[in-house]
Amino acid sequence: MKQMQIPSGMRDLFPQECAVKSDLERRISSVFDSYGYQKIETPLIEFYATYQNTFTYLKEESMYKFVDESGQILALRTDMTLPIARLCASKYGNVSGPFRFSYCANIYKIRQIFAGKRNEVTDCGIELIGLDKKSDLEVLSCALDVMKALPAENFTLEIGNSDFFKLAVREAGIGSEDAAVLADLIDRKAMTDVMEKLDSLSLDKDAYRFFRRLPLLNGKNALKDAAECCFGESLMKETERFLELEKDLNDLGYGGCFAFDLGKVPHLDYYTGIIFEGFVQGIGTAVLSGGRYDDLLGRVGRDMPAIGFGVKTDYLLDAVQAEMPSGRRLVYPSSRLKEALLYARKLRQDGPVELVPDDSAERMEVRE
Amino acid sequence: MSLSVALTKGRLEKAAVAMLEECGYGVERLKDKGRALVFEDTRRDVRYFLVKANDCITYIEHGIADIGIVGKDTLMEGGSDYYEMLDLKIGKCCFVLAGMKGCDPLKKSGHIRIGTKYPKVAERYFTSRGMDVEIIRIEGSVELAPVLGLCDGIIDIMETGTTLRENGLEVFDTAARISARVIVNKASFKLKRDEVMAVISDLERIVNRDAEGNQ
Repeated sequence: MKQMQIPSGMRDLFPQECAVKSDLERRISSVFDSYGYQKIETPLIEFYATYQNTFTYLKEESMYKFVDESGQILALRTDMTLPIARLCASKYGNVSGPFRFSYCANIYKIRQIFAGKRNEVTDCGIELIGLDKKSDLEVLSCALDVMKALPAENFTLEIGNSDFFKLAVREAGIGSEDAAVLADLIDRKAMTDVMEKLDSLSLDKDAYRFFRRLPLLNGKNALKDAAECCFGESLMKETERFLELEKDLNDLGYGGCFAFDLGKVPHLDYYTGIIFEGFVQGIGTAVLSGGRYDDLLGRVGRDMPAIGFGVKTDYLLDAVQAEMPSGRRLVYPSSRLKEALLYARKLRQDGPVELVPDDSAERMEVRE
Repeated sequence: MSLSVALTKGRLEKAAVAMLEECGYGVERLKDKGRALVFEDTRRDVRYFLVKANDCITYIEHGIADIGIVGKDTLMEGGSDYYEMLDLKIGKCCFVLAGMKGCDPLKKSGHIRIGTKYPKVAERYFTSRGMDVEIIRIEGSVELAPVLGLCDGIIDIMETGTTLRENGLEVFDTAARISARVIVNKASFKLKRDEVMAVISDLERIVNRDAEGNQ
């Protein structure tokens, strides 16, 4: 039997889509280049154990796995952050950093079947390794410049802070299991379930009020509201840090391009501070995502703070219209191929030429 | 900016449309719908479309709809890439564990077979109790399965319990309470926050008023 289909979640990309995609990648990479990031590549395949040893809550069912010649389990990479962390630990052990790496590479995740989801996407991003949270502002500027460089009408970069939730949990004395459940509910803004969970925790009044409002600490007054309802000194300090960040971003001219959502608490075992996502009009899911993960490199053997983000260019394909360059065609009788090639060589100096053999043509002719 | 709202056809439809009407939305066309599939609001910049429950999640996750109204039963079985922002407290019912009278699957030892239309809900329910059971997917008339001996029990939706009783089944446990929820596409919440929040607080007002009325 002939194999006609491609596996679930895969796509063939057609010339128009490829044109849009390379244009997007060019726009994004030129921002990365301008910030001094250096492009690197890592293998598509990693040892499964690399992922297993790093993540406590690895979603193993979402990884493509296979076996090598010695029986070891291999996996298609699900992100570029871990491969780059691995590389920093194993290949740059003697270099002190900081490192600025950029990448543009395909990553793989098995997702819900028959739901129109992509299992293979190109991720274009950066990692800034070796600088602590004082560099958050630099990376946010870079992310905002990337969003501005995209051919999109309306966008916003939404900024959250996973420390905010973690500090509140510690302050309120919530155990780690309850905290994980609560984080998931708050992140999904599952308001009814959040309330139910909070009622079961017997919190004091201030903590209860804070967690109740946390899912909706977003929009124009997010930080002002946060200052009003946060409890304890450490939360107040984080709020102040964010108010300063807001001022800095406004001073840098990014006003109107970003917003805060403190009720954004995904992947608590991964992110350790700021987290952010970029949204574009017309696309139902985040196209840019990133954050700080100061603990990750330590887990692969090189304790360094790190922050990064990536743009999923495939997600943008639906929102961007392609303008295909209308190339010239050189029509020629097939007996005069060599002549046509010589002529085309000259023509190519001013742009692409497509050769079209046509025996009904009497002479060579350029058509637009 | 204009909003798209995906409403679940059937059981929840009438109550949801009534709530929207009470909030002052122009939903006349939804009440007298003929063969149309998409309906413009006669007063506000909103359009509605009617879809099956599972499709409501799909339209939301892809951002085709900004806001969806769908039962918690469907949400528990489907994806989770959306915000679940409000309990409308309509279409109330629950997931129950039922079986033949006197044969509680929770008390059975050995291999246990559970029939259900909601395999994920059933799996979560038993896993959270530290039990390993075999789940058999059944598409309809789930209460028939234990009667005919296909399985030891079922996880199914119960509204009044009449069907279960009439078939000689007993309810052993409530697995979850269910009602209609308002879900929101994540990107819509960022890019159209004011419009989305306006709809949510309109509906929330009705929910709270009704809750007070019932007290």
